[in-house]
Amino acid sequence: MTEQERFDAIVVGAGPSGLSAGYFLAKKGLNVAVLERGTEVGSKNVFGGRIYAHVFDKNFQGWRNEAPVERWVKKEKMALLCKSGSVSFEFEREKGQGSFTAFLNPFLNWLSSLVESEGGTVATGVKVDSINFENGYARGVTAGPDKLEADYVVIAEGANTLLSEKHGIKRAPGLDETSLGIKEVIKLGKDTINKRLSLEDDEGVAQFILGEPLQGLSGGGFFYTMKEYVTVGAVVRLSEFARKRYNAKDLVEDLRLSPYLTKVLEGGTLVEYSAHLVPESGFKGVLKKPYGNGFLVAGDAAGFLLNTGFTIRGVDMAVESGRLAAEAIAKAHSEGGNSEELLSSYGKLLDESFIMKNLRKFSRTADFLSDNKIYKNYVNLACSTVKGVFDEGEEAKRAFESFRKALNIQGISFLTVLKDAWEAYRSI
Amino acid sequence: MSERFSVEKRLSLTNFKLYDKPHIIVDYEKCEGCSRPCISSCPAGLYSIDERGKLRFNYEGCLECGTCRLVCPRNAVKWEYPPGGFGVWYKFG
Repeated sequence: MTEQERFDAIVVGAGPSGLSAGYFLAKKGLNVAVLERGTEVGSKNVFGGRIYAHVFDKNFQGWRNEAPVERWVKKEKMALLCKSGSVSFEFEREKGQGSFTAFLNPFLNWLSSLVESEGGTVATGVKVDSINFENGYARGVTAGPDKLEADYVVIAEGANTLLSEKHGIKRAPGLDETSLGIKEVIKLGKDTINKRLSLEDDEGVAQFILGEPLQGLSGGGFFYTMKEYVTVGAVVRLSEFARKRYNAKDLVEDLRLSPYLTKVLEGGTLVEYSAHLVPESGFKGVLKKPYGNGFLVAGDAAGFLLNTGFTIRGVDMAVESGRLAAEAIAKAHSEGGNSEELLSSYGKLLDESFIMKNLRKFSRTADFLSDNKIYKNYVNLACSTVKGVFDEGEEAKRAFESFRKALNIQGISFLTVLKDAWEAYRSI
Repeated sequence: MSERFSVEKRLSLTNFKLYDKPHIIVDYEKCEGCSRPCISSCPAGLYSIDERGKLRFNYEGCLECGTCRLVCPRNAVKWEYPPGGFGVWYKFG
């Protein structure tokens, strides 16, 4: 920590939203400190592996030459794994340039260097214990024996919202509103990755996996290629572990050892095992008023995460919310105050941003995805149907015939499928 | 790599800077008769039942996800982060 203990703004947490807030606040000339409890920036952060580029293209000049990008996602894959085989789908872009894979630790260290280059402070090893309120206004934070003063506090504490709950800013999330993401990082080597997945050096794969290894749990698996590494993991609702007696500690191993992945991963070395909460309440559970007298909430802490059913967007939303928090603070600062009313421009900015636009658009999705019947019924239905279409026996089958037979095997009525299809149409 | 790794083996590959006091305190008295969802939910497998049927928890190897705090139906898990600079240290993330 520096000698100085008074700042214009203090940001709690050096994750994607906190560092973004710190960067834009420093850029606007505010005296800002980003406080991080980890020994180094990024040491407590975990995500799946993909970041969407649009938010950087718009706001971080020259970033493509500086940021630690692993690979640009050229191939999108989706696989449904069944006992009898698997069905997969692949979309290959002409050129990958809209999203990239990365490791969060180096990526956040890059963002942190931007904060410092604009004159902001990033202090590590500092755990914020509480926000100091005076007469209903946030006036700074307490971190161990230190009291730090600030006119504005940005709460960017991540998905495990201890601080926000402590101060009554939000309630503890329910088990259906939160997922647990668990991940393994596996070293495989660049040439092996390129060869096995038909990639050039900077081209990557993002894969979404449903089915057998996940045993009908509400959630999905993922697989991303980094330069020298791949990541394998899964994101599953907390209610599933609590209710079903499925052991969270077995989840990624079950996925990694599925026949679908073992060949790709052959010869690999496991280098890191990690876990992190994922806010999955969608629009319904997003913090409706993520600001108050002297404080704002950004990133995962406010619930700014989108699960479309096929992909999860978190980092771009976090970075944008940090940027908008900085906008709102700079405006209030120029108007000479920190009241809730002055900070309410944050709510308006969010409302007009892609964050709330996306969350509103997918407002039905979170509930749809937390219902586990879609995972149980439809993966096997798809496998059986496709298996029928490619039946190798004497009598060739028509597609609809295969589908009807698959319905029989799964014990699902056609009417149920229509109902669920309608629900899916409205939700994802 | 077709071998299954125990959770202990996986945790041994992840970096930690262990603090000498636990950051999670479980009030075991509240755990009597509970369905104990913490056992299945912890991705590090740190909750277990001992030979006398009592719940046991070990904070060494905690990935600091916060799951046990949320799944505990009896408010028996007092959850804090370890002090600044301690605990899990992800190199990749």
